[in-house]
Amino acid sequence: MIITNNPLVKANLPEETKIVYMKCSYKDILIKVRDLCYAGFLLKTHPLSGSVKPNETPYKSIMVSDASTGKTDFDSCELISNAISTYEKFAKLPDKWPKEVLLDFQVVDLSLMQNALKSIDL
Amino acid sequence: MTKIKVVHYINQFFAQIGGEEKADIKPEIRQGIVGPGMAFKAAFGDKAEIVATIICGDSYFNENIDEAKKTILAWVKKENPDLFIAGPAFNAGRYGVACGTIAAAVKEELGIPSLTGMYTENPGADMFKDKVYMVATKNSAAGMRDAVKIMAPLALKLGNHEPIGASCQEGYIPNGIRVNFFEKERGSERAVKMLLAKLAGKPFTTEYPMPSFDRVEPNPPVADITKAKIGIVTSGGIVPKGNPDHIESSSASKFGEYDITGVNDLTSETFETAHGGYDPVYANEDPDRVLPVDVLRDLEKEGKIGSLYNKYYATVGNGTAVASAKKYGAEIAKRFLDAGVQAVILTST
Amino acid sequence: MYNIAERQMERSVILKLELGYIDIKDIKFADKSEIKDGILYVNTEELKKLVLEDEDIKSVAFDIAKPGESVRITPVKDVIEPRVKISGRGGVFPGVIGPVDTVGDGVTYALRGMAVVTAGKIVGFQEGLIDMSGPGAAYTPFSKLNNLVLVCDPIDGIKQHEYEHAVRFAGLKAAVYLGELARNLKADETKVFETCGIVEGLTKYPGLPRVAYVQMLQSQGLMHDTYVYGVDAKKIVPTILHPTESMDGAILSGNCVSACDKNPTYVHENNSVVADLFAEHGKTLNFVCQIITNENVYLADKRRSSDWTAKLCKMLNLDGVILSQEGFGNPDTDLIMNCKKIEAEGVKVVMITDEYAGQDGKSQSLADADAVADACVTAGNANQVIVLPKMDKVIGVVEQVPKLAGSNEHSLRPDGTIEAEIQIITGATNETGFGTLSAR
Repeated sequence: MIITNNPLVKANLPEETKIVYMKCSYKDILIKVRDLCYAGFLLKTHPLSGSVKPNETPYKSIMVSDASTGKTDFDSCELISNAISTYEKFAKLPDKWPKEVLLDFQVVDLSLMQNALKSIDL
Repeated sequence: MTKIKVVHYINQFFAQIGGEEKADIKPEIRQGIVGPGMAFKAAFGDKAEIVATIICGDSYFNENIDEAKKTILAWVKKENPDLFIAGPAFNAGRYGVACGTIAAAVKEELGIPSLTGMYTENPGADMFKDKVYMVATKNSAAGMRDAVKIMAPLALKLGNHEPIGASCQEGYIPNGIRVNFFEKERGSERAVKMLLAKLAGKPFTTEYPMPSFDRVEPNPPVADITKAKIGIVTSGGIVPKGNPDHIESSSASKFGEYDITGVNDLTSETFETAHGGYDPVYANEDPDRVLPVDVLRDLEKEGKIGSLYNKYYATVGNGTAVASAKKYGAEIAKRFLDAGVQAVILTST
Repeated sequence: MYNIAERQMERSVILKLELGYIDIKDIKFADKSEIKDGILYVNTEELKKLVLEDEDIKSVAFDIAKPGESVRITPVKDVIEPRVKISGRGGVFPGVIGPVDTVGDGVTYALRGMAVVTAGKIVGFQEGLIDMSGPGAAYTPFSKLNNLVLVCDPIDGIKQHEYEHAVRFAGLKAAVYLGELARNLKADETKVFETCGIVEGLTKYPGLPRVAYVQMLQSQGLMHDTYVYGVDAKKIVPTILHPTESMDGAILSGNCVSACDKNPTYVHENNSVVADLFAEHGKTLNFVCQIITNENVYLADKRRSSDWTAKLCKMLNLDGVILSQEGFGNPDTDLIMNCKKIEAEGVKVVMITDEYAGQDGKSQSLADADAVADACVTAGNANQVIVLPKMDKVIGVVEQVPKLAGSNEHSLRPDGTIEAEIQIITGATNETGFGTLSAR
């Protein structure tokens, strides 16, 4: 299941992929994933994917397990908590990106998620 | 460059007033140099001058921190120096704590650049190395010359408001603030040298000490929470109104045990917060916000938990040393176990 | 009779590469492309024809940037050192320009003191900056080179990944074209690098610690990729290379995001861990091999790669490794996984990383940590803010700068000064220890 705020991801991933699309901020995505981890979902991709820094790109897509395992996975919780701490240490930059640059961010984020999906193709 | 003005702080021993028997002397201020100030004078040359020396007994300082600080800060403010130096304290514990306390206070409250020095195992080191520049010294006064050799140039930089480089360049104890600088050798060369040392069992110094996380293995989950006796503890400082045990607003030296038999709700009339590290308004309005007695009582009534243990424990987490916190935790856990408590809710702020 | 023991002792599998350096002191545009007396003359028309063979590139402009000039190059995509294979198997950039053949032996020439720099807007952010003088020059190794810059413009409507591919190949083709000019010259200096086989290494250097270089390669997606013999590093499983293979361009950069800690192709060709381990080879250590692994986003891939990397370290009977990473954030997790698992096999680790400790230097530098990582070399805090003065000339597109990592819309001041984090400088905090920047 992909949690994302990237409209390009919503539009371009294969039909069968379960997508939860939210019109929200980068941080909101991290928080949503954190809450899912507490509820027993497993983290499948690293929340800090990509080197475009958290205070630059507004888009984030994270893959979690399709359903809750019923038990909280400590590693998943730790990863997402650390990701939120890492997000918070970056200086807040005003995000007034022109449209083309926003599209670029979407394209890179989509590429990262598409490649992650390839890893589970088998 | 004008000569920078320095005020120096030392204890009764270095002032040659006396040893342990004179550790209770009140603070005094003398014009010019006393004792180890001579070593600094020699190192400073004509670049800086110690205009005044403040002397205080180590016991007096530690037992009357607020008073001593108030007096000394007023004197320092009057002298208006460009720089304040405390110690060095070497391995003398109370002296180290005094030096750290007063140097940090001068920096934070008067905005005057400050410097101190002590042995890395001095209790004052861990407490204050992050709050004020601190040079690592040997563990006895025999290390005075070496200490001054490093402290003096750093002091001049601080006094002249020059940018301060990385800890390994300037000689201060790493204080948690990463500072960039250019090494002589490139990173890969340093890595090869470090590996050869590590392989040979020789000492090496990592360039980035990992933060250490104290991991505690979680216990298995409570079998049946509806039958369990639940205890609550807070480091958020919620205490009965009036703070009867005088738990300090920071660096708490104790925890309190308080009876909540028959108490279903904490109110601003009956409880308050002693914690000095957060805005107390909302906690004082309704202390349940930090210690959720009201919600736990509801759960108790609804049968969702077995019962709420009738005593709770509180301390203040603000600036409290890890060692102290460990001590309180162990003692509180013992009391809970004796009382048959099976699970505990910890609230912090 | 077939005596195995004898045969193993006699059979030498040493891979030897002679790397000849042709020192380039200057670059000039001229009617004929050639190298004479240390000066590289370039016929830009020929080079232009070569680059424009790719229909995805609409136009290309060439420029020269020399050390000490008041010149700023931005946005930087890749930096490549021209090399040419004189003898031995294959050709440079195997699997991409050269044939797929295994490289790393024979004789290769390198044009030392210069580089091909590709510049061109692929995406609107984060592609790096090189200042040839001023305070910024100290933060990039490429300010010390004579740079031939290719500024590429894409055709309209092209997709980002297609254009990235086009610019990547343009740079490599230019580097091969220039390298070829050295084919019949005599090298100014030659260094010899030898890698022993396992048995030979053990017999030749019985008392020396067996050391390998574990190199983590960026492998996440668009602008975040590395290629090994043309294979996308996302697809590889951890494996072994002769360290000299990278000297022939076996590892290539497809990533530049963010500029400070990504390895341009130049760094792969001139890997400093490889160089510094070779310098000690046979003296204080036995440089056994290079192990490469990746940094995929998918968590199971991370677990698999780190398991395999540790397994290789164990099977090779290594005593110690130098472990370098590439990137920020999720590679920190790979770094710690690799470190923990390799140490658990009884192999000692020294790792090289950079830090993101915030502009005030107070934040936790890495996204992950473990007490076992007790030997760490740092390339500095990438969040350090720097003020770069206006340069007289900008090669590339200066309006890009506010969109570079670590900079914001106020970064580019009206007077041409840039205030931004050193993140935007190409190679500033390189995690293979290429530079001297550090932090405490």
